[in-house]
Amino acid sequence: MNAPHDGPRLDRRRLLGLAGLTGLAATLPACGRGFGGGGGDDGKIELNMVWWGDAQRAELTAKALDLFQKANPGIKVSTEYQDSSPYKDKLAARFAAGNPPDLMAMRFDSLREYADRGTLLDLSQHAGLDQSALTDSARALGQVGARSFGVPSGLNTIGYIVDKTLTDKYGVSIPDGDTWGWDDLAAFAKQVTKASGGKVYGTNFEPWTVANLLVFARQRGEDFFTPDGRLGATEATVTAWYQLVADLRKAGGIPPAGFIDQNNGASPAQSYLAKKAIASQIIPTNGLLGFNQACGGNLQLLRIPGETRGPRRGQSVDTPALWSIAAGSKHPAETVKLLNFLINDTEAAKAAGVTRGVPANRTIAEAIGSGLEPDNRRSTEFLNKLQNEKLPASYPYPVGASKLTNILKTISTEAEFGRMSPTEAGNQFITEARKAIAP
Amino acid sequence: MSLTLTRVSTPPDAPQQAPSGRKRRPRYLRHVLLTGVGVIMMYPLLWMVSASVKPSNSVFTDEGLWPAVFDFGNYARGWTALAEPFEIYLVNSLVIVTLSIIGNLLSCSLAAYAFARLRFTGRRLFFAMMLGTMMLPGHVLVVPQYVMFDKIGWLNTYYPLLVPHFLATNGFYIFLMVQFMRSLPQELDDAARIDGCGPFRTFWKVIMPLCVPAFATTAIFTFISVWNEFFSPLLYLTDPQLYTVPLAVRQFMDSEGQSMWGEMFAMSFVSLAPVIGFFIAGQKYLVRGIATTGLR
Amino acid sequence: MTEVLPRVRRRKRQDWAGYVFLLPWFGGLIFMIVPFVASLYLAFTDYDLLTPPRWAGLANFREMLGDATLHQSLKVTFVYTLVSVPLSLAVALGVAMVLDRGVRGLAIYRSVYYLPSLLGGSVAIVMLWRYLFGYDGIVNDLLATIGITGPAWTTDPDYALSTLILLHVWTFGAPMVIFLAGLRQIPAMYYEAAQMDGASKWRQFRSITLPLLSPIIFFNLVQALIASFQTFTQSYVISNGSGGPAGSTLFYNLYLYQKGFAEFDMGYASSMAWLLLMIIAGFTAINFLAARYWVFYDN
Repeated sequence: MNAPHDGPRLDRRRLLGLAGLTGLAATLPACGRGFGGGGGDDGKIELNMVWWGDAQRAELTAKALDLFQKANPGIKVSTEYQDSSPYKDKLAARFAAGNPPDLMAMRFDSLREYADRGTLLDLSQHAGLDQSALTDSARALGQVGARSFGVPSGLNTIGYIVDKTLTDKYGVSIPDGDTWGWDDLAAFAKQVTKASGGKVYGTNFEPWTVANLLVFARQRGEDFFTPDGRLGATEATVTAWYQLVADLRKAGGIPPAGFIDQNNGASPAQSYLAKKAIASQIIPTNGLLGFNQACGGNLQLLRIPGETRGPRRGQSVDTPALWSIAAGSKHPAETVKLLNFLINDTEAAKAAGVTRGVPANRTIAEAIGSGLEPDNRRSTEFLNKLQNEKLPASYPYPVGASKLTNILKTISTEAEFGRMSPTEAGNQFITEARKAIAP
Repeated sequence: MSLTLTRVSTPPDAPQQAPSGRKRRPRYLRHVLLTGVGVIMMYPLLWMVSASVKPSNSVFTDEGLWPAVFDFGNYARGWTALAEPFEIYLVNSLVIVTLSIIGNLLSCSLAAYAFARLRFTGRRLFFAMMLGTMMLPGHVLVVPQYVMFDKIGWLNTYYPLLVPHFLATNGFYIFLMVQFMRSLPQELDDAARIDGCGPFRTFWKVIMPLCVPAFATTAIFTFISVWNEFFSPLLYLTDPQLYTVPLAVRQFMDSEGQSMWGEMFAMSFVSLAPVIGFFIAGQKYLVRGIATTGLR
Repeated sequence: MTEVLPRVRRRKRQDWAGYVFLLPWFGGLIFMIVPFVASLYLAFTDYDLLTPPRWAGLANFREMLGDATLHQSLKVTFVYTLVSVPLSLAVALGVAMVLDRGVRGLAIYRSVYYLPSLLGGSVAIVMLWRYLFGYDGIVNDLLATIGITGPAWTTDPDYALSTLILLHVWTFGAPMVIFLAGLRQIPAMYYEAAQMDGASKWRQFRSITLPLLSPIIFFNLVQALIASFQTFTQSYVISNGSGGPAGSTLFYNLYLYQKGFAEFDMGYASSMAWLLLMIIAGFTAINFLAARYWVFYDN
């Protein structure tokens, strides 16, 4: 036989050569990074701090950390940040493997998942952390019983934004944002849809978002989640919520079934408001700057409807993220020091800006207001004003609350397409939600 | 028995003679169809290119492919906006991809040859195990793997990303090569044996050269999957200096808040270029395979 | 005697050679077995990621029997697999045959058709999907011109899964490349001989292409089934991880992920994973048994 030598061997040799060359060329500039080299010990205590956000937020945070490291030359802070959804996966994996970060951004709705399982440091035991400049309701955001597992990295609330360019264009006047009720919203939304000839729908307030329903429940005198971590909302309230939505849809104030995609993405640039498909929606107030940029710069910020009509207020002071410390941190004292710096140092707060909301420290919140961009100043004032009023407090969501997100989404879809009546939807939600957060 | 290998006289891409007596459809019709389908295939890429030169705020609102406002600054800003300049991430990814391809080609072809052409005790069992390793959803392996690599001390290094490729842990490529090797005539091995070749020489001199299309396929798929891999690097790398391209690109966005969309799509497009280039280069070897396997 | 010799020697076992060739794989097996065994153990525990696992016996598996969401996700996954696997393989094979020979600009078409697979889970794909199938997307615009009011493809639970199937078929690039590579392995002389005999194209396809390509078709089939049962990324990207609208795209693997990472129930997720492994193994075994009747190897 003649072994197949002529052509193929050339191929193989060339292939190998090529692979070897590119391998060599690629490895050289890397200089052994990633292969276990380096990492010299400079005698400093190294803290690991992680959070979610984009590169802009990272740049601001890095400035605040520089200030800390200058003031504390013995401490080095290594940081990591990601998009929020991969962030929480990696955080869970690191805790599971017993390798948690020292300081981390914690979702408000997952705080108790971590805290109740003993993985977070009880901050009330550490004198190094001064929470005295925080209001009670701000402190309550990180508290489980008498213990404290998180400090708000900033404060926000939800607000109703209206695109004034659109309402001016169609000659619809915007109701008074401090006193309007849900019926005013309905009338306003219907008017916009009608005046625009159906080109723009009046509003969409995301009935599938837990935080929105939560405010509605409070206005009816119910705690959606009770302080001891149970479901406080009643079937009647959830039914009323879906009835409100169904009526609005029937009247044309919100888009027809199927128009809005629940999973469209939460960023301002992707919103239906930015696409001028709707004229108003609910946002977290720390997003005002982004939304106003994406929507053409003429947004009005209103309170949630119904604040003055029900037995009590619905809005509360909330937080986009808490700072928490791992119970397993090897340097708890230094980490507490860093956290205290981030919360109470005016320069650090100025450097970090308000991407995570208004500083929780009231003195700082008042102080930085004037130096902000107009939109950030507006949302800061909006929140500061609310903080001066008597509002119900927000409590950390109970364990199991994360399941409610999908339950509420599913039921909202069924109701949207008329496959469930508001009564059925209310009943179904309460049944499933009780099961989900049963102790 | 005799075996000769010659180049096929007609290039494989040459149009074949139409059977006589049958009317040929006009050739342009086929091109119209192929191009039409191609436009749908191309759309996401075109969209991405277009998004990469739009201001971040109008990426989603300016729906046309031709931007109303151009912002070429996305490229310059995106290149430098992260902790490291973007070329660092490109080099990191290239290092990982290159080594992964070498590892996959070597280790998987060895294993595939054993499964496809050798007889040994436990062959069926091992083959079933190899297939079995492809069947467990990766999410439940994340934590145990993380713990394992932590114990070995490989966190924040490239080893967890690379070593598995040198140890044939991806059943997909083994199975792929097995199927290609099994379709080669058994006479090849027999002839080689008569010529006095042991299994190693047979593998190296006879089988390897005939599997160039399978290797090209493996190289292409490895390039793409490793280049796009997000979760493993996310998990194992902590130092931004070591980040790969997908980790870097994802740092432009926060799905629940503000994102630098324009910069993100600009860098997404930059990171696509090597993949497309490699595909175009690699698919040539799909053609060359046949030219060397004109078996008579 | 020389004719018989190879056959006899072929039967001879080559244990040591086999093991030497498998050495890297044996090494890798250690890396794989450790997490595998760990996850198997976790399947019988109550494990919330944050506190040590507690032995729970068969509790997770018993819970799975009554878990309506799990049953829904199984249904979604089966429907998706049974429809999309044959459909996408047929398209991939068809396009590969067209692109195999006889078209000018082949390399360009091949690369273009592979593009969707390159982009993977990119936002650009999501954008295309909304653009095509959104409430007032192109598909509905086209339907409107012939007087049909199209449904809300991506947001209506009755239609969302069908758009994901289409999305999958659309990314036929990977099996197409494998088919192309396989077609390249078929010696051209067979076709030359068949042409001389005046065999029709269809006849050539039936008698040459199909049998000689059968190992590769088999590979793609097995591979597509395994991958399809584990579908995750598409739904994760399009539905933002929710499996919506109303659970209509809640693939088994997506539900498993939600259980493990969002609801901190990794014990349950591990049991789900092992159930899926058994389901996939069952289908793969059937595939291998059936292969005896239609897959043609040259030995």
